[in-house]
Amino acid sequence: MIHRSLNVPHLVACLLVGATAVLLCFGALVTTYDAAMAVPDWPATYGHNMFLFPFAEWFWGPWDLFLEHGHRLLGALVGLITLALAAVVWLQSPKEASLKSTVRGLVVAAVLLVVLQGLLGGARVLLDDKTVAKVHACTGPLFFAVAVAIAALTGRNGTSAATGPSIESRVSLGLLGAAYVQLVAGAQLRHLDVATVAPATFRWLVAIHVFGAVAVMALAFAAAVCCRGQASPGARRWSLAIAGLVCCQVALGIGAWFVSWGIPSGWLPAAWMPSEPLAARSAGGAAVITGHVVLGMLILGVAVALAIATGLFAGRGTRVALQPRPPRDGRPERAYA
Amino acid sequence: MIKARHNIVLLSATAWLLLVAVGCGPTPSASFRPNMVEATKQRLTVDQERQVATVLLAMFGTPDDPVALPETGLDESKLRLAAGPVRSDIVGRKNGLYREHCAHCHGVTGDALGPTAAFLNPYPRDYRPGVFKFKSTERADKPTHADLVRVLHNGIAGTSMPSFALLPEIQVDALAEYVKYLTIRGETELALMRAFFELDDDAGGKLPETREFLVYETLTPAAEKWRAAADAEIQVPEMPSDIDLVASIAKGKELFYGDKANCVKCHGVTGLGDGQANDYDDWNKAIVEVEKEVKSGAAKAREASTAGMSPDELAEHRAQLAWLEKFHGVLDGDALAPRTIPPRNLRHGIYRGGRRPLDLYYRIHAGINGAPMPAAKGTVPPEDIWHIVNYVRSLPYELDGELGADRPMVARDRF
Ligand code: HEC
Ligand code: HEC
Repeated sequence: MIHRSLNVPHLVACLLVGATAVLLCFGALVTTYDAAMAVPDWPATYGHNMFLFPFAEWFWGPWDLFLEHGHRLLGALVGLITLALAAVVWLQSPKEASLKSTVRGLVVAAVLLVVLQGLLGGARVLLDDKTVAKVHACTGPLFFAVAVAIAALTGRNGTSAATGPSIESRVSLGLLGAAYVQLVAGAQLRHLDVATVAPATFRWLVAIHVFGAVAVMALAFAAAVCCRGQASPGARRWSLAIAGLVCCQVALGIGAWFVSWGIPSGWLPAAWMPSEPLAARSAGGAAVITGHVVLGMLILGVAVALAIATGLFAGRGTRVALQPRPPRDGRPERAYA
Repeated sequence: MIKARHNIVLLSATAWLLLVAVGCGPTPSASFRPNMVEATKQRLTVDQERQVATVLLAMFGTPDDPVALPETGLDESKLRLAAGPVRSDIVGRKNGLYREHCAHCHGVTGDALGPTAAFLNPYPRDYRPGVFKFKSTERADKPTHADLVRVLHNGIAGTSMPSFALLPEIQVDALAEYVKYLTIRGETELALMRAFFELDDDAGGKLPETREFLVYETLTPAAEKWRAAADAEIQVPEMPSDIDLVASIAKGKELFYGDKANCVKCHGVTGLGDGQANDYDDWNKAIVEVEKEVKSGAAKAREASTAGMSPDELAEHRAQLAWLEKFHGVLDGDALAPRTIPPRNLRHGIYRGGRRPLDLYYRIHAGINGAPMPAAKGTVPPEDIWHIVNYVRSLPYELDGELGADRPMVARDRF
């Protein structure tokens, strides 16, 4: 058995990714159940120090209090793990210089983002403002993306078989961007202030989100096709995963529409209309809506992993291209730096 | 690669910019939307629109801070539970129920202009005219409180209106009360806007702001109808017991195709709802008619030659053109594209107003208020309505082979 020294930064980063995923689920549920204002004060919870709020009152209390206070506790936990990760990364960074600076940069970004996100969460409650809620909802996945990037870069393969800006790395980067834009558009739709939004604005948001879905789907399939050949096994795996996830996501998205805004009757053939009206606030409905949000963030995370596996953050000149591509029709392939 | 790192910085920056562009600026506070279609139709001036808004504000408050004058008969504590932004109050009760559950379809004002409304067919109910479909009272009467609660509890099958059976009873009750509040507010607004038309010349184009006029003459009649509904339930006779179901269905069939009830005219000889299908309900018809008026008015105004007009006529002509133009804009922004209302396909067995025999009795007896479906009351004796109910209830189970096979020719010939 080969002895390998324990990769502590990677372990802590993975822990961070896991904890953040749970935190995001809670955050998504808070929005689904409109529970954000279940606790009117911040950083205290009903006057108690957040950490000293009676456990039983929280755990067995009303569902929306459970969600909101739980979200706060998890947020604090994630903040602490982030700080621990920063400490560990400073003590034990990757050896390779460019990777080291990248990972350190990302860790600094993570610390800044987690602090910002906590403050945004507080502001959302204190100001009871939907705009802040939207920004809070867009910063969460950004933090998650950074956490995934740190975990991927500190992993055994690091940037693995990155070959520089190949077609697959570009597609992956586009996919990453599109996945994030989708989360931004989705957050606008979810935190719609129904009392003040102009229907035209709403229609624009819907158009962006639907068009974005088509774009993400196209890019996901393009990535899967591009990564078939020469890419690293990691890239192949991630690209296939993302294509599958995106298909589920579209189905969930249609379901989420039906559950939250009603089945657009008249669009479906009459025979397909359910004979019973949908029940508002059903657990199944909440699961569909929340699942759509969480899966969106998962797709973003996988897109980060894919982008890294296809060469994002590849070291400066230290990584050698696996194989220069053969010239096409006699023309020499464009040389990349 | 360095380039890739620049890319990601660029990407995040763009994402944040996008974020800021889409959603930023502090959230404005909620306000009721004026009924612009009616205001424009009544040719109200800006000052008059403002007066209506001020009066309504004093009488009904805002979406965040509702007021219920005693004359409305509404329970303000229930309204407070339903109104405002979504939050939990000091004892952990959820507030802001209407905005959480209803406003995206029905609009904060109850004008059915919520953001998602345009995607739905049928459109959500516009409460403002005070017309409701599924109730236990006569056609022109208001629904009872229990009727509203039942609609909320059951939802409306075959439409996007969901069931709120999973909400605690106290919340459903508060929501029903809030629907009444929005309705009375909308009815009062309509009455005020129409009252300008009847003003004396010496009123200076302003409504009298007296308690006498605003409360006793305008608000009270609207509220009174809601109170009267409680005692106006349709008296339903026992289902005739001296006749077996098969005979009752046969009798119902005869009535269904007969001249008096004439259900075939709309629901079709097959019962598939393929009879007269190009009609509108009251809400959409109002828009269709106004649209027609605006279009023909604009055509006429464009044709008219201004050459021989006196200055007075010219000014009037210009005012008319400006009004038409304004109306056009209002219809674009404050009305949804009209949709026709097809008669129900009675072979699906999906009944929007509920599937109990009693519900069908109410529907057939009183018709569907706001929809073309007429009342059989008056043309069909009450006991016989039960036969029609039984026949309608048997339609989804009739074999396909029987579709229209043995229909009396008289009915078919009428088209
Ligand atoms: C997904 C959209 C949607 C939501 C959400 C919704 N409704 Fe509706 N509602 C509708 C539609 C569509 C109709 C009209 C159905 C028809 O005309 O047959 C309707 C009709 C109604 C009616 C009229 C029933 C009648 O007898 O005429 C009432 C009252 C009502 N809704 C109240 C509410 C309340 C209160 C809520 C929130 C608790 C709510 N709705 C939420 C879509 C919605
Ligand atoms: C003028 C056309 C017209 C006539 C005549 C007519 N209906 Fe209807 N009917 C309609 C329309 C339109 C609807 C759909 C209303 C709606 O969606 O709100 C409807 C709906 C119904 C429904 C469904 C109620 C529900 O809860 O969903 C039943 C049942 C029904 N009609 C039975 C009858 C019977 C029985 C007769 C004869 C006594 C009859 N109709 C006559 C137009 C008509």
